[in-house]
Amino acid sequence: MIDTRYAIRLNGVTKRFGNHVAVSELNFDVPRGAICGLLGPNGSGKTTCIRMIMGILHPDTGSVSLLGAPPDDVRRKRVGYLPEERGVYRKMTCTEFLTFLAEIRGVSRTEGWKRSNDWLERLGLGEWADRRIEALSKGMQQKVQFIATVIHEPELLILDEPFSGLDPLNQDVLEEIIRDFHSKGTTILLSTHLMDQAERLCERVCLISNARKVLDADLKELKAKERTGVVAVRFEGSNQWLEGPEIDYIHESNGELQLILKDGADHQSILKRGLQCGAKIYRFDLVEPRLHEIFVRHAGTESIGDAGMPKNVTLELQ
Amino acid sequence: MSANVWAVIRREYLQRVRSKWFVISTLGGPLLILLVMIVPAYFLVSGGQAEQKLAIVDGSNVLYERIAPYLVNEGLEVEEERWYPDVVTSLRKEATEGDLWGFIVLDELTLDTGEAIVYVTTRPSPIRQLTLQSAITRAVMEYQLERRGVDAEALLSGGDLSLELLSEERTSTEEPQFWVAYLGAFFLYMVILFYADSVMRATLEEKTSRIVEVIISSMEPWHLMLGKILGVGAVGLTQLLVWIVSGFLIVAGGMPLLVSLSPELMPVETLLSALPGIGMVTLFVCLFIFGFFMYSGLHAAVGAMCNTDQEAQQVRLPMVMLLVIPIAMVSVVIVQPMTAMSTWFSLFPLFSPFLMWARVVSGGIPAWQIGLSFLLMLFTVLAIAWIAGRIYKVGILMAGKRPTLPELWRWVKEA
Repeated sequence: MIDTRYAIRLNGVTKRFGNHVAVSELNFDVPRGAICGLLGPNGSGKTTCIRMIMGILHPDTGSVSLLGAPPDDVRRKRVGYLPEERGVYRKMTCTEFLTFLAEIRGVSRTEGWKRSNDWLERLGLGEWADRRIEALSKGMQQKVQFIATVIHEPELLILDEPFSGLDPLNQDVLEEIIRDFHSKGTTILLSTHLMDQAERLCERVCLISNARKVLDADLKELKAKERTGVVAVRFEGSNQWLEGPEIDYIHESNGELQLILKDGADHQSILKRGLQCGAKIYRFDLVEPRLHEIFVRHAGTESIGDAGMPKNVTLELQ
Repeated sequence: MSANVWAVIRREYLQRVRSKWFVISTLGGPLLILLVMIVPAYFLVSGGQAEQKLAIVDGSNVLYERIAPYLVNEGLEVEEERWYPDVVTSLRKEATEGDLWGFIVLDELTLDTGEAIVYVTTRPSPIRQLTLQSAITRAVMEYQLERRGVDAEALLSGGDLSLELLSEERTSTEEPQFWVAYLGAFFLYMVILFYADSVMRATLEEKTSRIVEVIISSMEPWHLMLGKILGVGAVGLTQLLVWIVSGFLIVAGGMPLLVSLSPELMPVETLLSALPGIGMVTLFVCLFIFGFFMYSGLHAAVGAMCNTDQEAQQVRLPMVMLLVIPIAMVSVVIVQPMTAMSTWFSLFPLFSPFLMWARVVSGGIPAWQIGLSFLLMLFTVLAIAWIAGRIYKVGILMAGKRPTLPELWRWVKEA
C-alpha cells in the first residue's frame, strides 16, 4: 500500500525506553512537498520520533513509512538527515568529509567532490575546502554539516534543530536555503523548539508535548481558527482595566501587551472598561495568535514549565 | 561487499596511513633495526681506531710475528720495537705525548708463563684485555707446541664438533629459535592489541563526536563496524609488511656487509640462519589477521557500549588480563611444545595467535593442529562478529550509563 501523497507517515507509533515512554500513540503525516515543523519543548520526544522515521530506532508498536515504505537503506539514501547532535570527522578536510558522506549515500566520488566544492563556495567556505574541519569555527562546522545533509540531493530533508548554535546572520542564510529547497519541491521536516522560526518557515506544524501529539494542522488554517482571543494593546495610564473575567493571562513582547482571552470572552467589554477608566489607548488590536500562544493554549503552561520552556510567559501585574 | 563498506574502509585506511604517527612508526621500525645493528658495530669499529696504535717490545725474539697478525685482525695497529736499555722510558714518553695508545713488553719469562706487562694510556675494555691476553698466551702455546713438534694450528683452531640428532623430537631451545618464537609471539600480541585498541578508540570517537548518527542513517551499523575493522586491519597489515620486507632487506643485505667490516659481529650471522622463511612469514601474517579480527570485534563492541575512554579501558581490562595467560605460557610452550597442556592452550582460539606461533617455530607440530586451530579461530571470528555486531548496533546510539551484563544480553537477543 504505497501512498505517494505522503513523504512520511507515522501510524500509532509508541516507543519506550525502559519505563520511560518517549513517544506515545503518535499519528503524524508529512505530505510530499510540504515544509513541516515538529515542535515541542526539549525532551518531548521529537528526536526519538525523527530517529524512528530514519529507521535508526524501531517503534515498539505502530508503523513508520518513509517515502512510501518502511525505512530501509534504499529509502534512507534519498533522505537528507541532520541529527540534533551532529559531529564531524575533525581530522578530515572539508571536501574529504563531504565526499565521503556523498559516497556512502551512493554518489560517485568525482561527483561528490565537485558538489562539495560548489556548496562550500556557495556558503562562503571556498577557501576552507582543503583545511581540516578542526580548523573551522563552530559556525563554519555547522555549515559543513548542513552541506553534508544535502550533498546527495535528497528528496526529503529531515532537520533536527537546524538553527541551534547558529548566529542570527547564519540563521537567515540557512532559512533562505531551506526556502530554496522547498521551492524546488523538496519535502522538509524540521524540528525546533523555537516557535518564531517555525512560524516563519512552516506550512504545517505538529506540536508534541510529553510524548503526545497536541496539535497537527496547517498553520494558516490553525491561525485563522485560533484568531479570536488575542488582543494587542498599547496605552498610557492606569492598568486597572486589564483585570477582568475575560482575560486568561497577559503576555508581554516588545514592550507591547498581549491579552490572551478566555474561550468565548468578548473583547469589546474590555475596551469599554479601558475607556471608562480614562486610559489613553493607542492600540487595541485583535491579532493573529502567535504559534507560541497556540502552543501554550493547547499544551498548557504547566507542561511547558516542566519541559524547560521559558517560564516567564505570563506577566504579573500589580 | 556494498559500496558503503568500501567507502568506510577507504576513509579509515587513508586517514590513518596519512597520519604522522603511522609514517613515523612505520619508517621508525626499520630504522630502529638498523640502529640496533649499526650502533654497536660502529662503536666496535671506531672504538678500535681510537686506541689503535700499539708497540710491542719483544725481548723473546719469537713472539712478535705470532702475535702481530692476530692483533691486526682485531683492528689494532701494531709496530715492533727493538729492545734497548731505555726502551720503556722512551716509549712511555711517546705514549703520553699521544703517539701511542700503549705498548707491551715481552721477555724470556713470557715464553714460560705467558706473563707480560702492558702499558696503556687509557684503560682497555674487558674484551680488549681478553684479546691481548689470548693473543699472548696463544702465541706462547704455539711456540711451545711447535718446539715439541705438534701441529699447533689445527689444535688451536678449536677442532671440529659435529652434532648428529638421534630422534625426531625437537632439538632443544637453540638460542636463535627461542628468540624468534618468543619475540614473534610477543610482537603479535603487541600489534594485535594495538590495532584492536585503535578500532575501539575510533568507535568511541565516532560515538562521542556524534558523527555516528549521520553515518548510520545512511548505512547499516554492521557495515560501518565491518568497514572500520577491515580498514584498520589493512593499515596494520601494511605496516607489518613494510616492517617485514624492510627488515629482511636490512638483515639480508646489511648483515654480511657489517660482518665483513667488523669480524667481531661474526656470531650475529648465526641469527640470520634462524630467521623465519617465507612459510613462517605467511603464518605470522595469517595469525595477525585472525587474531586481529577476533580482538578488534571485541574491542569494537566495548567501544560502542562505553562513553568515555576511561570507561572503555575499564571494560577492556578483564580481556587484557586474560591475555596474561598466553604470554606467560609462551616460554613454557617453546620448551615443551608437544605436551597436552601446550596443545590445548594453543588450540584455544583467543590464545592461538600467540601460542601457535611459539609452537610452530619450536618445531615438530603436526600440520592438522595448525589447520584445526585456524578453523577454530575462523568460527570464533564469526561468532564474535555476530555478537559484537549486535552490541555495536544498539550501543553506538546509547548515551548515559554503560549497560550491565543482563542488558548486554538483551541487546544481543533483540538487536
